[in-house]
Amino acid sequence: MIGSVFWPLLSGAVGLALWEGLVRAFNIPVFLLPAPSQVVLTIVQQWSYLLTQLAITMLAAGLGLVISVALGLAAGAAIAGSRLVDRMLTPWLVIAHAIPKVVIAPLFLVWFGFGLQSEMFFVVAFTFFPVIVNTVTGLKSADPEQLLMVRAMGATPAQVLRKIQFPNALASICAGIKLAVTLAPVGAVIGEFVASNAGLGHLLIRAVGDMDTSLAFAAVTVFSVFGVLLWRAAEWVERRVLPWHPSQRETFLLRDANT
Amino acid sequence: MLAADRIWRRNDDRVTTGESIVLEGVEKTYGGPGGVHAIAPISAELLAGEAVSIVGPSGCGKSTLLRLIAGLDLPTRGTIRIGAKPVTGPVPDIGIVFQRDLLLEWRKVLGNVLLPAEIKGLPDLEPRAEELLRELDVDGFAQSYPWQLSGGMRQRVAIARALLTRPALLFLDEPFSALDALTRDQMNVLLQRLQITQHVTTLLITHSITEAIFCADRVLVMSGRPGAILDDIRVPFERPRRLAVRETAEFTAIGRRIREHFEKAGVLVG
Repeated sequence: MIGSVFWPLLSGAVGLALWEGLVRAFNIPVFLLPAPSQVVLTIVQQWSYLLTQLAITMLAAGLGLVISVALGLAAGAAIAGSRLVDRMLTPWLVIAHAIPKVVIAPLFLVWFGFGLQSEMFFVVAFTFFPVIVNTVTGLKSADPEQLLMVRAMGATPAQVLRKIQFPNALASICAGIKLAVTLAPVGAVIGEFVASNAGLGHLLIRAVGDMDTSLAFAAVTVFSVFGVLLWRAAEWVERRVLPWHPSQRETFLLRDANT
Repeated sequence: MLAADRIWRRNDDRVTTGESIVLEGVEKTYGGPGGVHAIAPISAELLAGEAVSIVGPSGCGKSTLLRLIAGLDLPTRGTIRIGAKPVTGPVPDIGIVFQRDLLLEWRKVLGNVLLPAEIKGLPDLEPRAEELLRELDVDGFAQSYPWQLSGGMRQRVAIARALLTRPALLFLDEPFSALDALTRDQMNVLLQRLQITQHVTTLLITHSITEAIFCADRVLVMSGRPGAILDDIRVPFERPRRLAVRETAEFTAIGRRIREHFEKAGVLVG
């Protein structure tokens, strides 16, 4: 247990120390590469400003994510439930996913205007695909014998979906949502690059324009730390939702072997 | 001897429906004319409350027969009747135990047992579920997840699930073939106990000649594909039977008779 915390921490400390040492030793100007201490200082000084911008970004990410998950689940159920819908809808999805979203970002500005709604659509574009793909895969992977069994009990198609397919798909759906959770803030930031005058994305553009590199680093650091926390939160929710799943079981033997 | 008292107590709250199962010239071919002839015309009658085993080589169409009787598949020719009603679709009044326990991993044991009640919209079967778990000696695990149980215990839960709604027929499709020999013996004794306490007509499909005889009043011997009934043997031993009955001369004689059918058919050599 101690080893699993100690060694990564040591590795991180060594990396940061090298960075700090190199910046000082070669006297690298702060607008090129700020030292870690400078970044920490900036975070402390601009704490409330950074946090406000983060909140704005996360609002767009959160709203977009909710829309994306709701749409993804509904469309996924439709595709898994009907071969016709599958054949009609899936080509569109694949094409839509193949379009590089960063490239069409300016179009979002044209279509949805400046501000939150444009960012939200951008988040949806970023996160919809993992949710729907994982939903479809999960729903389609139900054990054929279990399906046979509940049909023999006289289950209706709705019951089959609710009692077998959906719970069976939950692990896969969770995986899709976890991916979406980490993609959503990225989508929001890119949306802000293009179509917003607030949020971390806008802050980044402005900081770089002002040659305030340490503020840009501070923004990126806050953003990344929050991303990790978000991932952890998603994992925590997953454990609550899937206590029965092999990935969540207390496998003492394996855990001991890892340390 | 308290356990023994409990084991052999008759559970009289079930009124036997008295429905027998009749197969008349049932035949099944997969894939149209020239396809796989799974079952040759079969005619048989299973009386209400009777315990019948079907024993036969791999691929003799036993599992096809199960699907036909359960109404999951329709015969190419012939009719199957449960009581007076011909089978035309899924028969709700059948409890099926498959080779794999098919427990839903996301439900606790009690939730798994209650699944048929939920699907059929029958309320208030929780006491019945708990009683069945007690009878199958897994009542300590009602709140456990399936993965926390051993293979034998999982199959007991699957049997409890099949019996929950008091089906007229308990259909067991090679239910113990994935279990180790000792557990299998235990399950055979357990099945016999259930046949007595639950008054349920049972149809057991198995590859094991010993199991087929021990668990049944009648053994139907099936040939290889296309499946046909070669013999219909009455098993005379009193119930409850001890496992030791398998070593008696009478028991081994029945076994020999079944084996001879397979030798003649070329399934068994030596």
